[in-house]
Amino acid sequence: MERDVAIIGVGMVRWGRYPDPKRPDEYPERTMPELAVEAITNALKDAKISWRQIEAMVSGVYLWVNQQAGIHGTLSGTAIANLMGYTGIPIVSVANACATGQSILREAVLAVASGECDIALAVAADKSAFGFFRPQSTDGKSDIDYMRFVMCGETNPAYWAMECRRRMYEAGTTEEDLALVKVVTSKPAPFNPYARYRKTFTMEEVFKSPMVCEPLRLLEICATSDGAAAVIVAEYEKAKKICKKPVYINAVAVGTPTFGDPTVRLTYLSSNIRPGVPTLSESRNAVQKVYKMAGMTPDNIDVIELPDNSSWHYFAYLDCILNLDPGESEKLLRKGETDPITGRIPVCPSGGLGAFGEAVVAQGLAQVCELVWQLRGEAGERQVKKDVKVALAQTYGYAGNNAACIVSKGW
Amino acid sequence: MAGEAPAKKEKKKVPIVEGLFTWPSDKPALIASRCKKCGAVMFPKAAYCPNPDCEKNPENIEIIELSRRGKLWSWTIQYYAPPPPFKMEPFKPYAIGMVDLPEGIRVLGILTTTENLKCDMEVELTVGKLYEDDENEYITWMWKPVEEEK
Repeated sequence: MERDVAIIGVGMVRWGRYPDPKRPDEYPERTMPELAVEAITNALKDAKISWRQIEAMVSGVYLWVNQQAGIHGTLSGTAIANLMGYTGIPIVSVANACATGQSILREAVLAVASGECDIALAVAADKSAFGFFRPQSTDGKSDIDYMRFVMCGETNPAYWAMECRRRMYEAGTTEEDLALVKVVTSKPAPFNPYARYRKTFTMEEVFKSPMVCEPLRLLEICATSDGAAAVIVAEYEKAKKICKKPVYINAVAVGTPTFGDPTVRLTYLSSNIRPGVPTLSESRNAVQKVYKMAGMTPDNIDVIELPDNSSWHYFAYLDCILNLDPGESEKLLRKGETDPITGRIPVCPSGGLGAFGEAVVAQGLAQVCELVWQLRGEAGERQVKKDVKVALAQTYGYAGNNAACIVSKGW
Repeated sequence: MAGEAPAKKEKKKVPIVEGLFTWPSDKPALIASRCKKCGAVMFPKAAYCPNPDCEKNPENIEIIELSRRGKLWSWTIQYYAPPPPFKMEPFKPYAIGMVDLPEGIRVLGILTTTENLKCDMEVELTVGKLYEDDENEYITWMWKPVEEEK
């Protein structure tokens, strides 16, 4: 990159459901732009700068426009600026499914790295707190996603479950392994003020939860949540003047699939298989790119936030991030090496998507917020025990979208 | 009774989305497109080849019927009813699978049964009803396990 870039401020709202009639004080009625304003305000406070100092903004686009939010879910950037107060800056709205968070971080970083501006903001708000996701058109003639849904009844957990069963068949993953993911990743959940489910689960509780899509149980898949997160980046020299602990951005990348990858991605009905092309190639492409950009290998990474949408994801994404063969991630988990606080390579000290429930477009930024707090040593009771110098986050989305980043202590 | 009640008319079977499989047919097959240059197959059919190295010329594309038999790569059972626009009446848990076909394509589909399913077992294409009204039964393609030949 032309200029070095660092994170100077992060902010979130607590994940949940806005409104939650049972807890109106904690979860009042809030629109998506209102949730975004709260996250931006927290990030500005963290950076100790004002809204007028933001020179460019990138906003995540909400996918479920037909169900909620409508056009202001699509044109989210100016809808948020309308509440923050228009300042005339360039604003772009971006949709990359669940990978949106780090995709918009990349756009903000590029705006600063290129020299277009010195301070930029990435913000995403989401209201996804309802059940199975569904297609957004009512037209069977031109929407493959609609065809997939009405002809095959494939929900997101159904896709995850098919991948999971094949992994069990090929790599010997057990039902105990799947349950153990929830037990281990929920350990830090009670200590995260931004998590929706602040509870640690037992093996028994996981096994007693209902089967949703065999072999995945309810507590082995993530809920969907409302949430918002914001990350402010600045040119590195300027960042060092603004704050004591700028978090240096070593790399941020977006990955898309390789032709011939056999994965039948959500929203599609089929895949083209070419010999030698790996599965989940969008994810491998994003991770390989950030390692290359940062000049690093998995050995450099001290802590990981990965997309544990289900227990299958936890293993598949550990494989992907650490370059492991299927089956090795299960061994690491069983040995406690990936314990979120005490592990050799702590994974998901935030409590992961299991503790949050996915707020689709905001989730990637929430991961980055957690890594910033871990690097600064501000994570309280969920602070990982080892010395954290370098951290990696990855998010995975619908239809071939992936993004990853590597950040490190910049002081 | 004789002559009183009109004979029950068999309902017409109508694909929920038209044009995805050959119908009406005793041996329905999925309709796909194939690139004459590199052999890449698309389902549903598309006007262009998805190979990044192939010329984007619709004249290189031919419409084919996919093999009716393949291997079940993996499967799951959906225990809860998906929201609209999916419709199955009455709802009961159903299995969904991904099937590898000889053309080098992996295809989704509901399975005809939730029992005795195994990875890599042979399955065959058929059709099945998801719901009906007074006149029609609404169908989709389904994968049916091939009984082992004795």
